[in-house]
Amino acid sequence: MDSDKQVITHKHIKKAIQIRRVEEKFLELFSLGKLNGTVHTCVGQEFSAIAFAGQLKKKDFIFSNHRCHGHYMAFTGDVRGLIAELLGKASGTCGGIGSSQHLCKDNFFSNGIQGGIVPVAAGYALANKLKNNGAVGIVFIGDGTLGEGALYETMNILSKWKIPMLIVCENNFYAQSTPQHVNLSGDILARAAAFNITTYRGNTWDPESLIQAAGEAIENVRTQSEPAFFLVETYRLNAHSKGDDDRDVEEVASFLEKDYLNKFKLQSPVYYDIYQSGIQSEIDSIVEEVLKEEDLHINSYYKKIENDVNKEWIPLETINKRQVELINNFFKEKISKRDDCVFLGEDVLSPYGGAFKVAKDLSFIRAERVFSTPISEAAITGIANGLALNGFKPFAEIMFGDFMTLALDQIVNHASKFYHMYNKKVSCPVVIRTPMGGRRGYGPTHSQTLDKFLTGIDNVKTVSLSTFFDPAIIFETVYQEKHPVLILENKTDYGKKILTTKAKNFIYERNKDKYPIVRIRPAVSAPTITIVAYGGMADYVAGCLEEIFFTTDLIPELIIPSLISEWPVDLIANAVTVTERLVIIEEGSAFAGPGSELISSIAEKVEGTVKFKRIAAYPVPIPSVKSLENIVLPGKDRIINEIKESFC
Amino acid sequence: MALLQNITVPLLAVNDNILTVVEISFKQGDLVKKGDTVMVFETSKTTYPVEAEVEGYIQYYCKEGNDYEVNHKVACIYSEKNEGAQPSPLVNANPAANKIATTESQINSAVIWDGDTVFSKAALSLMQNGGIEQSVFTGKDFVTATDVNEKMGIASNAMKKNNFVPETKLSKNKIAPIPGAATEVAKKLTSSKKREIEYLSDVQSAGLTSTINIQVEVEGIFERLNNSMQYLKNSLLPIIIYETARLLQANKLLNSFYSEEGIVEYKEVNIGFAVDIDKGLKVLKIPLTNQKSIHQIESDIILLSEKYLDDKLQLDDLTGISFTITDLSAEGVAFFRPLINSMNGAILGISAIDEKLQRCILTITFDHRVTEGKTVAVFLRELKDRIESYKTDDYNKANKINCFKCYATLSEDLGGVGFISCVQPNGKEGYICQRCLKGF
Repeated sequence: MDSDKQVITHKHIKKAIQIRRVEEKFLELFSLGKLNGTVHTCVGQEFSAIAFAGQLKKKDFIFSNHRCHGHYMAFTGDVRGLIAELLGKASGTCGGIGSSQHLCKDNFFSNGIQGGIVPVAAGYALANKLKNNGAVGIVFIGDGTLGEGALYETMNILSKWKIPMLIVCENNFYAQSTPQHVNLSGDILARAAAFNITTYRGNTWDPESLIQAAGEAIENVRTQSEPAFFLVETYRLNAHSKGDDDRDVEEVASFLEKDYLNKFKLQSPVYYDIYQSGIQSEIDSIVEEVLKEEDLHINSYYKKIENDVNKEWIPLETINKRQVELINNFFKEKISKRDDCVFLGEDVLSPYGGAFKVAKDLSFIRAERVFSTPISEAAITGIANGLALNGFKPFAEIMFGDFMTLALDQIVNHASKFYHMYNKKVSCPVVIRTPMGGRRGYGPTHSQTLDKFLTGIDNVKTVSLSTFFDPAIIFETVYQEKHPVLILENKTDYGKKILTTKAKNFIYERNKDKYPIVRIRPAVSAPTITIVAYGGMADYVAGCLEEIFFTTDLIPELIIPSLISEWPVDLIANAVTVTERLVIIEEGSAFAGPGSELISSIAEKVEGTVKFKRIAAYPVPIPSVKSLENIVLPGKDRIINEIKESFC
Repeated sequence: MALLQNITVPLLAVNDNILTVVEISFKQGDLVKKGDTVMVFETSKTTYPVEAEVEGYIQYYCKEGNDYEVNHKVACIYSEKNEGAQPSPLVNANPAANKIATTESQINSAVIWDGDTVFSKAALSLMQNGGIEQSVFTGKDFVTATDVNEKMGIASNAMKKNNFVPETKLSKNKIAPIPGAATEVAKKLTSSKKREIEYLSDVQSAGLTSTINIQVEVEGIFERLNNSMQYLKNSLLPIIIYETARLLQANKLLNSFYSEEGIVEYKEVNIGFAVDIDKGLKVLKIPLTNQKSIHQIESDIILLSEKYLDDKLQLDDLTGISFTITDLSAEGVAFFRPLINSMNGAILGISAIDEKLQRCILTITFDHRVTEGKTVAVFLRELKDRIESYKTDDYNKANKINCFKCYATLSEDLGGVGFISCVQPNGKEGYICQRCLKGF
């Protein structure tokens, strides 16, 4: 870069005017009722967008936040797509689904969740690093986001793993309406410096220096292949959103005066007017045109898909290997053969190989695809999301099922939504695995079954392993999935071998679904009670079948679905038509659990008299003491007694 | 290279879902000519040879002596010698064991179970009470209380539940059936009805039954009978059972049944009588009927009926019946044609007494494969005569004949042997009853 030449050009100024005019048009359209939802403008902050987004290469990427229009226009130049998007038209950059806060085009992503975008961006950047393609990226946060934990989890990892990404913190001194001094302690740059991340500083009132420093920071990130943190001081001249402004009028006025574009307007009114009127008429004609367009049709956004259950049943076979060994074998094969396979989680490096040894030897086989993470569930999951968005098949391990709550924002607000909110432009084939369940005395925070929180997430498949067939069958299917999958494993199942004991006179079989359904049915007789169980509970209940028959005089059949976010309703409904009795046995507590969902679905489908029953954990944290844990979780005696009480 | 003929197990009779391969006529891969008998099936009634429809090379997928379900592929004829040869032909008769993949429709179609049988606690306890051996259930995978009850002929719990009606007759008649509930009852009945059909089909399905009726004059008969009967007033059943038992002793063919091996004759006369009082149709056995007195028969009827009502019947009360009597006289039927039970050669039906004409109709349906019309007609005629002998005329006559020893009248003696004419100690002619005679 030639520092003798004036850095800022009329091109930059024109771009800044364009950003400001487009946003002001949005406010106008909003007040006319033509714009649905909300708008957060960056009026006054435009040069931050121009300085950073404008200096990236095409292969680079941006993750932005709710105040993203400037970043979007500076990076993509797609004014028309943005206008159509905010006006809710099918031709909008995301078909009108995402609108102001959720934009996606050519490596540009924005999301309205503060903080959560940071690990996703880090994952995206990590993918670039793994591809060694020289691309870097920027994540824009505001000073308000400095309150989010995910940011610090990610900065730690960025620094540790030398991920080439620039965090740009646009400090406009207000978090929505709250002035910074109310919420923020300490120094902003010191935060990044504490993680040993190179820091930069600039402001939008001196765009020349800002552009120069931004260029340097980007270049540094690219050449050093390491993260950097850039603090941009700026001021938002408009309200946070629309009319919600309680700031001191004089304060706002002083910044209006200080604003570079306003100063330019005073200094070069002729140029300003020429640029301004040209831009304005272009925007007006786009708006006029777009307003005549059609909205997206619901059919191209959502169509109900009926999933048929495969009706061919094949006998199950004993495999003299432990479940964990089979899962580990699957990963050993994939990690060595597939370049897109990435394994990440806490303590997963060998020789330790993860708390439950699923990752055993993986890092010996291919160290550059196995990432042992700090204790940072949000960041692990977010980084996995980013890897998935950028062409990888990441398998993130959350050490205990109970910790899934820490990853939930990434699952619910990011992984689950990317595909739809970006109008199907991207998909996020992330996989998050975790061991659920009790019966090991780990106590309240390491034993609970949280399936009820993990089975109702739209566009996320939740799969539960069992000990009745090779889990690789499920993992192979998961590998092909283009959408997020949560795999719920079970602590007690890990050590079990596949189908080593069979209840007498029962036939063990599975269908040929991608997520096989196991059925354990009486050899000849028609069953008189249908039991549904999955996960660790399935193996436990299978072990009770003989006793259930002996004591209750009911001939049981046990149906064990693998896919628990989508029950095989037809199959179970057919079974229940014969038995007229359905009991679901779950390891989580009953209220609003998967069992309630199953019974509702069956009740909607089946005509006639069916008696239903849920047998579940008591609604208290799982006690560590064995005697109580055995009572709180459904045990053999309780299962049999509750069946007798309900059906006999 | 072509498959010329597919040979599957044919459906020869509705109740024959499984046929036995009794003969395989060729070796694997042999050349067979059109019209050759390639194999022979045995049904429960007959044998059935299968002929080759074409000339070709045969491959069998079955084994002599094994049972196969209808439509099961047992052999194929091919145009080439070793076509269709399988390294190990399916030889196991148990379809479940051979199944590589089952489809939904095949589920539970396997009717043969050669594994162990497991019993529920409730089943075991019922079996213990009823004195039923576990071996009775060989061929079943699971045995529940319902199975045991069915075996004992007691309506299943499910049936009892679904047939439950309010106690009073009034409400029973007035309550409109709930559509859902009605459907359920109908469905639940199926299994017991199925058993009944199976049971009756055994003899009837051959279509070789015939029915003969006879009218019995009964005027004044109860004046005498009611005197001697303790419980069963106005009923012909005890004397009909009593007289029939004695006649069966002489007419062995009516105490027999048809089987594929030939006619099987019961050594004992065990008459069963049909009851149906809210607990399903059952036939209860009066063992060794021909050795019992009318009073013993009467008390047997009472005892068995109580057990039936209290669900306390044991397997032995329901099995080994050699001849069945069904009494519909209480229902007022003028005439009906009873159906022969499995492992019986005939059945006797008692219609209601026509009050005006003072007569009733006795009907025997019999299996023509076992006996024929003439024999049955003679049997019925004799039975009629014996029953009519209980009428008042004879009764009055009999009333005048006393045992000189105990003064019992002949009418009081229901041993059916009569008194013996004798010379009294005073030199006069007189009569002595069997009891007093034996007492001497």
